[in-house]
Amino acid sequence: MKDSDLKYVGKDAIRIDGLEKITGAANYTDDVDFGASMFYVAVLESPYAHANIKSIDTIEAEKYPGVRGVLSGKDFPERFGLYLKDNAVFPSDRVRYVGQHVAAVIAVSEDIAQEAVKLIKVEYEPLPVLQSPLEAIKEDAILIHPELDKYEVVPWLYPQPGTNIAHVRKIRKGDVEKAFEEADYILEDWYEVPHVVHAPMEPHTSIAIYTLDGRLMMWNSTQSPHTQRNIIANSFKLSHKDVRIIAEYVGGGFGGKAGVNMEVIAAAAAMKVPGHPVKLRYTRKQEFQNTSQRQELHAYVKMGVKNDGTIIALKHQLYWDVGASAEYGSNVVNATGFSATGPYRIPNVWIDSFAVYTNRPPCGAYRGFGYSEFHFGIESHIDRVAKAIGMDPVEFRKKNAIRQGDRVAYGVEMGPTGIHECIEKVTESIEWGKESKTTDPNKVRAKGLACVWKAPAMPANESSAAFIKFSEDGSINILVSGMELGQGFMTAMAKIAAEELSLPLAKIRVELPDTDRNPYEWQTVASHVTWSCGNAVRRAAVDARNQIFKTISEAYYVEEANLYLEDGKVKCYTDPSFEIPFEKFVINGIEMPDGTFRGGPILGRGIYMPEFTSAKVNPETGQGGHPNVHYTTGAGAVEIEIDKETGRVKVLRMAEAFDAGKAINPDLVKGQIEGGFTQGLGTALYEEVYFDKEGRVINSNFTDYKIPTTLDVPEEMHPIIVEVPQPDGPFGARGVGEHTMIPVMPAIANAIENALGIRLKKPPFTAEKIVAELGKILINK
Amino acid sequence: MKKEITFTLNGFETHVEVEPHEKLLDVLRDKLGVKSPKYGCGRGECGACTVLLNGKSVRSCIIYAIEVEGLEIETLEGIERDGLTDLQKSFLEHNSFQCGFCAPGIIVTTTELLRNNPHPDKNEVKEVLSGHLCRCTGYNIVVDAIMDVSKDKVGGKI
Amino acid sequence: MQKFEYLKPLSEDEAISLLEKYGASAKALLGGTDLAVMIDDEMVTPKVVIDLKGISNLMRLELRGEYLYIGAGITFNELIASKIVKDHFPLLWETSRSVGSFGIRNRATLVGNICSAVPSADSAPALLVLNSSVEIRAKEGVREVPIDKFFVGPRKTVIQTGEIVTGIKIPLERGETGASYIKLGRYDGEDLAQVGVASYVNSDKVYRIAFGAVAPIPVRAYEAEEYLKGKDVDEDLIEEVKPIALKAISPISDMRASKEYRLYVSGVLLKRSLFASSRRLKKLGPAYGEHLV
Repeated sequence: MKDSDLKYVGKDAIRIDGLEKITGAANYTDDVDFGASMFYVAVLESPYAHANIKSIDTIEAEKYPGVRGVLSGKDFPERFGLYLKDNAVFPSDRVRYVGQHVAAVIAVSEDIAQEAVKLIKVEYEPLPVLQSPLEAIKEDAILIHPELDKYEVVPWLYPQPGTNIAHVRKIRKGDVEKAFEEADYILEDWYEVPHVVHAPMEPHTSIAIYTLDGRLMMWNSTQSPHTQRNIIANSFKLSHKDVRIIAEYVGGGFGGKAGVNMEVIAAAAAMKVPGHPVKLRYTRKQEFQNTSQRQELHAYVKMGVKNDGTIIALKHQLYWDVGASAEYGSNVVNATGFSATGPYRIPNVWIDSFAVYTNRPPCGAYRGFGYSEFHFGIESHIDRVAKAIGMDPVEFRKKNAIRQGDRVAYGVEMGPTGIHECIEKVTESIEWGKESKTTDPNKVRAKGLACVWKAPAMPANESSAAFIKFSEDGSINILVSGMELGQGFMTAMAKIAAEELSLPLAKIRVELPDTDRNPYEWQTVASHVTWSCGNAVRRAAVDARNQIFKTISEAYYVEEANLYLEDGKVKCYTDPSFEIPFEKFVINGIEMPDGTFRGGPILGRGIYMPEFTSAKVNPETGQGGHPNVHYTTGAGAVEIEIDKETGRVKVLRMAEAFDAGKAINPDLVKGQIEGGFTQGLGTALYEEVYFDKEGRVINSNFTDYKIPTTLDVPEEMHPIIVEVPQPDGPFGARGVGEHTMIPVMPAIANAIENALGIRLKKPPFTAEKIVAELGKILINK
Repeated sequence: MKKEITFTLNGFETHVEVEPHEKLLDVLRDKLGVKSPKYGCGRGECGACTVLLNGKSVRSCIIYAIEVEGLEIETLEGIERDGLTDLQKSFLEHNSFQCGFCAPGIIVTTTELLRNNPHPDKNEVKEVLSGHLCRCTGYNIVVDAIMDVSKDKVGGKI
Repeated sequence: MQKFEYLKPLSEDEAISLLEKYGASAKALLGGTDLAVMIDDEMVTPKVVIDLKGISNLMRLELRGEYLYIGAGITFNELIASKIVKDHFPLLWETSRSVGSFGIRNRATLVGNICSAVPSADSAPALLVLNSSVEIRAKEGVREVPIDKFFVGPRKTVIQTGEIVTGIKIPLERGETGASYIKLGRYDGEDLAQVGVASYVNSDKVYRIAFGAVAPIPVRAYEAEEYLKGKDVDEDLIEEVKPIALKAISPISDMRASKEYRLYVSGVLLKRSLFASSRRLKKLGPAYGEHLV
């Protein structure tokens, strides 16, 4: 299909979930009513970051009026985890971070559950607390998981028993030491990115019922219904057919609702009180300290270049604080290890990416999946190297930016990429090279830029599936288990089906996941569902179309090849008068002269699995496999204004361009760019989780964890779409959701250096850090 | 100690039994089935629970239900009872929201703003909305949708 | 979940007798924007919450001859909407706009703000430079406490058990004045002040300066005011007065800012505030309400 023939894909439209959302009709998990038999769960949280559990006494809590059950580690000793089973529903041996759930109370009201939980007595024996990966990686550090060798793990992760290292990913390409000898200029330095949180507006909520006949049904705010079903079924030894996960709309995910989190507690609680729905809804405070955070990163970057600006060597060592569990975060460490060159052609590469346990909350997926963190170092470093050899940082990037056919660090050929066009468009939009001026003597303005690439981080056998179900009036329901997180997934799926079936959007619904009814989807993560689930939906639509043609062909004796669809009707190239509307046959078939019928309900089926990927690589070099399906590339730039006296930074203007391959929903892709930029802005200027010496999160609220507001975003935003098609994507599409926040931290850091000549190596770039770096104050911290 | 309170909810006299410590948000959602106000932070900092109290936008998560005895509460359900307002239509046309969780609160506050001042300027809109946290959008498409209503409509349904 | 009894007196007398009866186990409730959060956090655990919003006497906002009377029930948005406040007390108007967010200001009261007595209370520096006084009622009668004697420590005031603050009085000035409040937060959205500075100058070149969030209580910088008296501010004078003014403050480090930054930036804000107030005195702008950082 030519671009110019497209009627729905690539055209702006009102999102199909729009009306539900602006009327308040959209249900989120906590909006579902369960009636009078509902019980509530309250959890007991560890006050220690690291301690042995000597004993747990629940007797008083059990006796409290209104309590229906108490749970602790002895009830559910099973370990669970997505990639590395190092996590437990409740720990029975020791606690590993402040806030870790130690026990839970089920009661007839939330108030009673909360009162009763205070009656549980736990005796702890405090252990030394590790809060930095650089401390935890030392040989004499106390082991946070002494039984690391006993945990079940996927074959492509390498835990290092006897250490606090949950995984290490190594990449070796070329001869990096020799290349450093040949380099004209070498720069080495450390960069640090602190923990931040997802802060979705909807906190995690889970409701579970273990029915009296022995099946587990759950309503979860999740990005991963099928993955949750798999983990929960395996952990609780239930058949998958007997576990049903229903997902309502999700009030923001950003990776924080990927995999399994607090839902295991609701499941465990439900099994204790069969027949009763039980609800666990996190408070905002719990959302801060008990759900996964973004990893802290300490990165060492050493880059060698020739005088002409060619990068010839990169050594990049990444020390990730994955917190107390690496069940999910180990894959962040793995994925970034493969890609830590950034979007550049570098012949000699040495990468070590370490997942290090600490006594901080478990970390996991966060929009960008580690790429924001390592791009901060790489893209800061590139500006510094370029300037040191007298090159414009943009020219330097253009010279080294990867092209199709180049070999990435693990040896695979780079696919089609629009990164050069993205750089061009962004520099044009931000007016790169044109001086930024202000008349205010207290202020200074400057611009900064950064490039991006990111691949979906997925197991090689991730897959998506779709059914398309017709109804009597010719409308369709698309059954998929991708999740509408706000990104516009439903609208994208609807448009893909609309295009193949020539059906207006008004006749299409896309259903929220229900693992009983909707077919399989791995998870809505990795910015991959438009691509992967989009392919499945497209195939389902084609399948349905083929059934339609077959039915019509048999009933009317028309060649299938002569049939086509237009606006919900079947038409014929050879007979302009031939026109059969869908509603005439898609359910009840077509009546033949003898009174019999042909056809029947049209039901399209489509699946997609990328059959060309493989996680099997040489663990010492990272070579030999095909761990990533493709990369989405882009660039982002900002114009900032700094108050030289107070140190406050304000972004006045931003431009970001991403190669979406083909934007199925251009308007919504722009929404992703503006929203992702804004989330990046928060992490660049304001956001950091603060811990006290004991490992407690001390800013677990919006009073002291600031996310951007209407008054903090740039007045001018220029979201730009570049389209170099992805050959295996639906209509050429690839994902862009996460990428949009990746350039922001380094672009702003680069702009700050361009404004004031100071280089900040750890976000957030607070006013205070800027005046300290300018030498106006001395801070001993 | 439970007490029955009486107040006007979306135009109708409503009776409900509450305990003094129960928050208006929880009573609306769990006892009266009014689900558009959402729990986002419990401290009045995110705006997701916003309702109109005697016409003024307030955070129902930090108001005790017992305080509204004899007063008028209006939620998104009441605002839209006679059909979509121009503001809602504009939000729809601009694809202003993504996950949608913050939308009811933002619509409620903006409704108060536009009822009092049908033509606010952009700075006013941004100022008034700065207490509503949205983690999905870049806000500008929300503000643009409001500015369209502010510019265009005289005498339209706000 | 803290449970309590809720009482809603309809007169000041009734409120006072209830407060006396329940003593320290009672808490007075106005907007509740602070109290409800403190109860949830178990920072306070009242047995009885006494809602003062039923007392019509507390809902008055009026000019009474030589002063403005702001009843305890008056919210910040009511102050912002008041023409009297905008015309005659523009500093109070400017300050009110910096408090919380719009939805909070629909509920939060000026009196509640000072009774919470957090060091960063936005209204305090303005009330200090406006020489306000606090009207406090007890069974024995009414007493008036100058605002600079009202705060005792972080979250502590002179209010005794059995007393309620019924209102605030701000003297009306007949002559020309210029004033400004500058709040520095971590960003432009709703935030607590890292530092707040208010200044005031009148046509007799009498200056007043107050700081918030940089001492255990909001403070006046009297010595600096004395130094400036009769002079016109310029860069040099400000550099001279800065160290004198900063002697009045004793900032601490917390996650919102270090003491070093607070001390430093207090000087920056002082300069900007003094310039803005002086220019406003001469009707040179910037307009009240304009962002000064």
